Amino acid sequence: MEDSTTGHHEPEWEVSPWPLVVSVGALFMVPLAFSFYFVYDKPLMAILSLGIGVPLVIASVVGWTKGGIADIAHHGKEPGFATGAMPFFIVAEAFIFVSFFAAYWVLRLKAPNWPPAGTPEFGVTIPIIMTILLVSSSFTIHFSEHAIEHGDKGGFRNWLIVTIILGAIFFLLSAFEWSHLMHGGFTMKTNLFSTFFYSITGFHGSHVIVGLIIFLCILVSAFFGKVSKTFVKSASVYWHFVDLIWFFVVTQIYFW
Amino acid sequence: MSTKTGKGKVIAEWIFTTDHKRVGILYLIGSLAAFLVAGLLAMVIRMELSEVGPQVTDPNTYNVMLYFHGAAMILGFQIPALTGFLANYLIPLQIGAKDVAFPRLNALSLWLFWMGIILALLTFVVPDPPDIMWTGYPPYSIISPGNTALYASTVLFMGFASIAGGVNLITTIIYMRAPGMTWGKLNMFVWTTLGAFIIQLVFVPVLGSAVIMLTMDKYLGTHFFNPASGGDVLLYQNLFWFYSHPAVYVILLPVLGIIFDITATFARNRIFNYWACVVGGVGGIVLISGEVWVHHLFTSGMPNWIRVGMMVSTLLISVPVGIMVLSLIGTLYRGAIEFKTPMLYAAGFIFLFLIGGLTGIPHAIASLDLALSDTHFVVAHFHYVMAVSGTFAIVGGVYYLFPKFTGKMYHEGLGKIGFVVTFIGANITFFFMFLVGLGGMPRRYFDYSHMPELQDLQQIVTYGAFILAAGLFITLASWLVGLFKGKKAEDNPWGSRSLEWTTKSPPGPGNWAEVPDCTDYDPYGYGEDR
Ligand code: HEM
Repeated sequence: MEDSTTGHHEPEWEVSPWPLVVSVGALFMVPLAFSFYFVYDKPLMAILSLGIGVPLVIASVVGWTKGGIADIAHHGKEPGFATGAMPFFIVAEAFIFVSFFAAYWVLRLKAPNWPPAGTPEFGVTIPIIMTILLVSSSFTIHFSEHAIEHGDKGGFRNWLIVTIILGAIFFLLSAFEWSHLMHGGFTMKTNLFSTFFYSITGFHGSHVIVGLIIFLCILVSAFFGKVSKTFVKSASVYWHFVDLIWFFVVTQIYFW
Repeated sequence: MSTKTGKGKVIAEWIFTTDHKRVGILYLIGSLAAFLVAGLLAMVIRMELSEVGPQVTDPNTYNVMLYFHGAAMILGFQIPALTGFLANYLIPLQIGAKDVAFPRLNALSLWLFWMGIILALLTFVVPDPPDIMWTGYPPYSIISPGNTALYASTVLFMGFASIAGGVNLITTIIYMRAPGMTWGKLNMFVWTTLGAFIIQLVFVPVLGSAVIMLTMDKYLGTHFFNPASGGDVLLYQNLFWFYSHPAVYVILLPVLGIIFDITATFARNRIFNYWACVVGGVGGIVLISGEVWVHHLFTSGMPNWIRVGMMVSTLLISVPVGIMVLSLIGTLYRGAIEFKTPMLYAAGFIFLFLIGGLTGIPHAIASLDLALSDTHFVVAHFHYVMAVSGTFAIVGGVYYLFPKFTGKMYHEGLGKIGFVVTFIGANITFFFMFLVGLGGMPRRYFDYSHMPELQDLQQIVTYGAFILAAGLFITLASWLVGLFKGKKAEDNPWGSRSLEWTTKSPPGPGNWAEVPDCTDYDPYGYGEDR
């Protein structure tokens, strides 16, 4: 607001439509679609809800990222607290996994025989390949972070792309494994082990996806020449966390 | 947006706002709406229980109403009013920050909370509404025809809002204090809320996982809680109370914090034993809160040696709580107490909390709890210790901040009358509810034809509830009169020393023209002039 008499700048109320839009989108995309499909048996309505929700969420992610880029571009504002906040967020995230693993350990140790009937043999090749992929991606994102700290934009971008590719292959392998097992008749409903197998790997997989989306947002902004170091750093911390959780998944679910 | 003018612009500036004060106010509106609906349902519940036999509803509706009452009061009213409204509004003002660390994330928390409110309200429109109580215990929640997914998604939306809000405000407190604002100069409210947020970060995700497992069991056919294939129903109870017991400290801590600030302001006094209260009180509660949950399962079956251990740890938590209450009393000691409406609520809180605390002891003693659990005695206990005393703190906090966030004064006369009526009503309701409980009235029962002798007492409880409701409507009137007809508020109507009162009433964007220098600042430095 330009004050005409004095020429002073009155501070404005800051606004952003995206928090509201993404919340409405999430409302349609998750609970409404789920209820229509699974509770009320109305697949058409579920698809309609998804049709409303998904575009809203995607638009908000894009708009929000753009806003962040604009902040850096116009005001030179670095979102300075992201690295400080990440550890707290990770604590919260970790406790989701703690609950699932605790439940798993308790029930598994109580079970008279393990694995319960109906569990197929698990190969070791796929999990080993997946581990190698994820661990290397932890290194590559570290290289990328290192590069941007030394002002090497090209290196930063290339290592980031490598990370995204590694993460994507990891995810595809996981999807392949799931579909393979499901075709073999091992579904979520099969037994207690399948319950934990799908829920824990599924939760971990969803974190991989979130990580990949964050990386894509960073990459796209990097193509427009806007990079926020704090943002890269926090994303990399998050990715190391996803990697760490994988160690638990692979040792407890696959190899134990 | 800048091209718009007039009304459109004002509305856009509100619903798209990322300012912590406006986010806080929108939180308040949402939580009061939840309180109103859940409170009216409580009246219907009381009408139903006032006489033997079906009165105004049928058993299924009763279950749905009680589900909504519990879930909305806790998840939709108290937690958001405290950690949403009060914390968002006050913390940046009390630590001398222009906003929270992540304003847009803050708005996201707000709107996720509102979507949670919408999901909860859907209970009244969807076919097969959830009827599983706010605890959602399996196996009933899995075999019930009700929509358990609606319950789970309400919890998840509110939970995500809490986690994001917690990350945000913890970061704000750590990194955004004004120059000179050392840890020893923080208001008690900042400390207690910090404790509450730490508890939330650790425990809300556990609740989230529990309800996710529940939904998966019911709709995707998994086996977490299915004993037939090696699952365990008690697993849910453990996960649920692992969150929900600490949740009462999420409520209690900010409640104590705002009561401390009101008391210090109106008694013109320092906080008695500030550091003992911060370290022993807040720190102690945060540490112990994580390991007492099992006492909610005394009656669910467990070995006796665990019962004894849990009993001790439960009694242990009264130590930090006791330290804080002692400090509170010490803050009143030799103060120049001025009984404005907020202070009345603080005093009322102390009384209610005392009764609630004392009636908690028999629950902590496992042998007695085996008899008392799941009667109206426990219902009366937690209404005293959490529901009503928490509501008193919230209402008192709204009165206290009213001049700041509206720029007007509330109606003092109506405020005082409202307090007296509410206080009397609350005590009639819940004191007689203890007696009903001792008489054997089980919790969550629609009817009590097997014990008609309780009817007289039940009727008194219902009358009390109507007095209580009348008091709350007088309170609302005091606010509305203030809002539309009240006189303009000064910047610091209470003569408080605390930082939030150095801003304009109401504060504009950015709170201060310049970030205040807090080198010579003491939020409770009343010194000699009291
Ligand atoms: C406005 C005055 C209120 C009245 C008259 C009232 C009344 C009641 C009654 C009679 C019950 C027990 C019903 C039964 O077990 O059959 C109940 C349960 C409950 N109330 Fe309230 N209540 C009030 C306010 C609150 C508030 C402010 C809270 C906030 C935390 C709250 C939280 C609960 C909870 C958690 C339950 C347990 C529900 C369950 O069994 O799952 N109530 N209330």
